[in-house]
Amino acid sequence: MYYDSNTGLNKMKRYYFDQPTTDKFVEFLMTQAEVIAPQKKGDASYSYEVVTSGKDIVYDYPRTIQPLKKYFLPPRETLLSFDSKNNEFKKTDIALNNRIFFAIHSYEMQGIKRLDYSFTQGNPEFNYLQRRENSIFIGISFNPDKWHFTKSVGISIEEVERFSLYFEPVDNGFLVFEVDDTGKELISKFGNGLSLDASMDFEVREKEFKTKIKYHYNRLPQVFEHVYNSKVWSDIAQKCVGCGTCNLLCPTCYCFDVRDEVELEISKGKRERFWDGCMLNEFAEVAGGENFREKLSSRTRHRLHRKFKYITDHSGELHCVGCGRCTKYCPANISIVEIINNLIEEYSDHQKEQII
Amino acid sequence: MENTAIEKQDLYYPMMSEIVKVETLTNLEKRFEIALPDNQILGHLPGQFVEVSIFGYGEAPISICSSPTKMPNFDLTVRNAGKLTDKMHSMKEGSKIGIRGPYGNGFDVTKFEGKDILFVCGGIGLAPLKSLIDYTIAKRQKYGRIIILYGTKNPSEILFKEDIKMWQGSKEIEFHMTVDKPDEYWKGNTGVITTLIPPIDLDISNTIATVVGPPIMYKFVIMSLKGKRMPDENIYLSLERRMKCGVGKCGHCQINDTYVCQDGPVFHYPHAKQLEEAI
Repeated sequence: MYYDSNTGLNKMKRYYFDQPTTDKFVEFLMTQAEVIAPQKKGDASYSYEVVTSGKDIVYDYPRTIQPLKKYFLPPRETLLSFDSKNNEFKKTDIALNNRIFFAIHSYEMQGIKRLDYSFTQGNPEFNYLQRRENSIFIGISFNPDKWHFTKSVGISIEEVERFSLYFEPVDNGFLVFEVDDTGKELISKFGNGLSLDASMDFEVREKEFKTKIKYHYNRLPQVFEHVYNSKVWSDIAQKCVGCGTCNLLCPTCYCFDVRDEVELEISKGKRERFWDGCMLNEFAEVAGGENFREKLSSRTRHRLHRKFKYITDHSGELHCVGCGRCTKYCPANISIVEIINNLIEEYSDHQKEQII
Repeated sequence: MENTAIEKQDLYYPMMSEIVKVETLTNLEKRFEIALPDNQILGHLPGQFVEVSIFGYGEAPISICSSPTKMPNFDLTVRNAGKLTDKMHSMKEGSKIGIRGPYGNGFDVTKFEGKDILFVCGGIGLAPLKSLIDYTIAKRQKYGRIIILYGTKNPSEILFKEDIKMWQGSKEIEFHMTVDKPDEYWKGNTGVITTLIPPIDLDISNTIATVVGPPIMYKFVIMSLKGKRMPDENIYLSLERRMKCGVGKCGHCQINDTYVCQDGPVFHYPHAKQLEEAI
């Protein structure tokens, strides 16, 4: 059901790329498709952007501010454009460029996998699925900082699922692993005429996570069976300002709102879809003013249940991938790991009481 | 039940339909008769809803208030409560609106066959229940007693006055109503809707209760029904939420892990009871 940290890198064909080879490889990728990779934005923040020069790519980055989902579920997209005078509308064409997402961390890839689940369950969502077509992902290892807790949610740094190639930094370059046939094809196209070194030994060194959830991830859905009425929810509500940043930066959040935007020439306009978030006050409000999730405590509870129980009950996977964005960028310094550990504490106290 | 119109629809694209009749019911509510394009039939179940779309104003979920036995058109009763519904109220016969749906589960009408049906309708809750009332009346021989309880805040909010006249005059239907705040002309019952429940003689084991009204009403109606020893299994509710997309994606209508637009708006009470956020 859940992930195992045994990723099988050992069994994969691998090559050594020094930095000049890596730069050449990026140039090659840019001839194959649009390349999107982490780039520096401001002093200490990073963003996935279209690569115009290989030099802009940052290989050693903790995380981008925005998750990769913006390329599949844009923050704002036009569902249809209308002419209300004639009551006509036109569907939006979704451009289908080949895209290569380069130097992506495992938790980010797993976030896309969770979104794939959410958009194919029940009614498959054409817009999302159309954007997911023709995408190749190339992974890279990372060094956990004090916000990452991917291991605690069952995703190892070296989880290569859904990657085509995987880059592991070594002295003066990278070991490049062939994960699937698409990756193999890329390497063989690129390596034509080059002699790529495939002999190097390697050992993945276990990296320490500073932030940990107290229970094994397999037990978390069980904890969430018992904490619905926990006082932890109201404790957090004391600090939370309900800004919805955690929703917007979450790689697996996908709730949205739809609004009509009218142009100056009033009869023409667009029906637009926007990211929305269950932490925002009006999220569950209906016409007439009734708000079905008015309390901040019930909104936080809903958000966490969507990550650890509601969708998990169906998908068999946690829908938190441990990227740490919601915590790092929370203006009220609320830590998701602290919430979970407090819930675990309450749960284990309760279990002990029952035994006594 | 064949769903004639829905199979051809893309998720977010409305069918451009026509308002063929507008009827003012109260100061706040109008009934609209809608014709789908190309003589399509909506093919709904009582209790389902559609997304009404007006370009420039967005979309809103509106429950269907006519029985599927009335064809080919269907009716929507719309309260003027927001931007879109305000615009809709200004629309005349011949105006175009977009329709997506029908969505949601609706009432399982075959399961109700042979049973007495008790309708408990609070305020505009009569509109969604009217699709089921009309359906059971159209298939009268398939159902036992039809008992309709209807309560509004005041006499000016009473919907479907002509139907009510018909229900009151029919020997086939038991109809009782009350208003919270009577005016000087009101001659009927006064008090909240729960005051109508105790006097009614019910064959509890063979009665299905369907309850729709404002959020505050459910708890008290269920208490009254429990007071008559009605088992949970015989109670059905329809719940209002913000069904923005109608197709189980946008998240707005969720009650705990349940998307109201998919697994509701009709809930079997034993299920609703399990959902902490439901009532």
